[in-house]
Amino acid sequence: MKRNLKITPEGTKDYLFKECTAVNYVCRKIQTVFENHQFHQVFTPTFEYFDLFANDASGITAESMFKTTDNKGRIIVARPDSTLPIARMVSTRLQNEILPVRLFYKQNVFRNNPSLTGRSNEIMQMGVELIGSKGKRADLEVITTAIQSMQAISNDFRIEIGHSMLFNALADSLKASDDVKENIRVYIENKNYSALNNVLDNLQQDETVKAIRKLPSLFGSDEVFEKASQIIKCEEALKALEYLKDLYNELESLTLGEKIIVDLGLVQRNDYYSGIIFTGYVQGYGDAILSGGRYDKIFDIFDCSMGASGFAININHIAEQAKDKEKTNIPDVLVFAKNDCDIMKAISYTNELVNKGIKAQFSDLSDESDAREFAQKLGIAEFDVIGE
Amino acid sequence: MKPLRIALTKGRLEKSTIELFEKIGYNCDEVHNKGRKLILPIGNNDFEVVLAKAADVITYVESGVCDLGVVGKDTILENGTSFYELLDLGFGKCKFALACKKDYDFYHGYGTKTIATKYPNVTRNFFENKNMDVRVIKIEGSVELAPLVGLADGIVDIVETGSTLKANNLEVIEDVTNISARLIANIASLKLRKKEIEELERKLEAAIE
Repeated sequence: MKRNLKITPEGTKDYLFKECTAVNYVCRKIQTVFENHQFHQVFTPTFEYFDLFANDASGITAESMFKTTDNKGRIIVARPDSTLPIARMVSTRLQNEILPVRLFYKQNVFRNNPSLTGRSNEIMQMGVELIGSKGKRADLEVITTAIQSMQAISNDFRIEIGHSMLFNALADSLKASDDVKENIRVYIENKNYSALNNVLDNLQQDETVKAIRKLPSLFGSDEVFEKASQIIKCEEALKALEYLKDLYNELESLTLGEKIIVDLGLVQRNDYYSGIIFTGYVQGYGDAILSGGRYDKIFDIFDCSMGASGFAININHIAEQAKDKEKTNIPDVLVFAKNDCDIMKAISYTNELVNKGIKAQFSDLSDESDAREFAQKLGIAEFDVIGE
Repeated sequence: MKPLRIALTKGRLEKSTIELFEKIGYNCDEVHNKGRKLILPIGNNDFEVVLAKAADVITYVESGVCDLGVVGKDTILENGTSFYELLDLGFGKCKFALACKKDYDFYHGYGTKTIATKYPNVTRNFFENKNMDVRVIKIEGSVELAPLVGLADGIVDIVETGSTLKANNLEVIEDVTNISARLIANIASLKLRKKEIEELERKLEAAIE
């Protein structure tokens, strides 16, 4: 039998030295923002029951989860997302807590991606959950936290905001089957204008069809709102648009200019999101690194009604970019114990140097010439010998 | 500012795309005299062109190393996952079709049918939408051979003129979908470089009509 002893499973990797410092650096920056906004850290288990994610509202497909069974044969999964576990936790363990609660997490999520696409199956995510509040204040607090997190880690980023009710309201008034509506949603999400037009051409041409046709092209700055208000007639959708415009205007006070984009074609995971949606991008990486919004509906699963919003940031991708800026950590001094009886003396001496703020390392090689060679190869400037 | 990088599908689509670029006034001399170079500047160095195999165009655009791509709808249907499909460029037109031997009643009987194809995903989706279980066999070369030698009941393949089918006594029994070249964009690029991409898109759209 061929044994896979020397490789890691597809979609996973080892993190070494600079890669770790970069991850830690990025995490620290983000954690500071989260803590400044008074979010408090929680851990959830790596494994959860499959049932937690097996509903439409989770927006996660069954085939993208790593599954195994517990000792009673019940299906468990490596968590593909942290929001649902936290919602589970809040609805059970924190039911008597004073609301709203502000939680943040820093943990890995696992996705079983199609092979050979170069995607990571294990992603470190940091995110916040603001649970138990709804409305403009909560939405602005969460978006601002997201923007500040992006500012902390990148100079060149974009945050786009949209509203899930915009499409949902239009789709509700559309005279078409659910399958057709789902196709339309996918075409809007992919900005696939030609396929979208083909589907819409087959429907009765009314105001709704006209509005949906334009939806994917409605992204940019505040001119979007004017264009949209001319073509959208549906009252529900107009209400969502009005709300989004209000938020956008408030965010203008941050004077970030074109870093904040409106995208009315943001329709991803529309069974999951129930209000604002936002996504973050950084220069040099081809996919979104931040995604979030309002998802009040997830608490319906636990039979309690609560406002919930938040976002998650994929750390690995930003750390990838930050790692070249990090210096490799090479000690300044290597301490060598001449004889075995000098070992403890040498270790204490090393500790003294470290306490003085000098990067010193005790050499665990027993031969002096080996130790000198090691220091030379690594480029350690000073070599201290303890003992006669 | 870095030039926008566009991945083109080598061959016929490349030629038609370059013609289109020249029509909207971009200088494409470098592409005509490319020699062995793989990254070629066009226009006033506002753009650079990368030539790649069809499926690789999608890989490059998806990963974000190329901002835009020109690729056939056939490749998108078979390999596509997450990118924006902005424009139907109108050239490279053909279709996916289901074909079988002449006078063979494909839908008759309850036996599970076997389909030979170079496009297993397209085939699977097509029959899934019909709620039909089929056995799909992936073939790399001339798919037309499979029903003739008895490997498959039918084939799903790209049909342009239909002359290869006719010569082998095969006929189209159903169209799967129409195909043409598409302009695709990386998701992050469209957000980060919206103005440039939209301007190009507008120019191309005007040139097509």
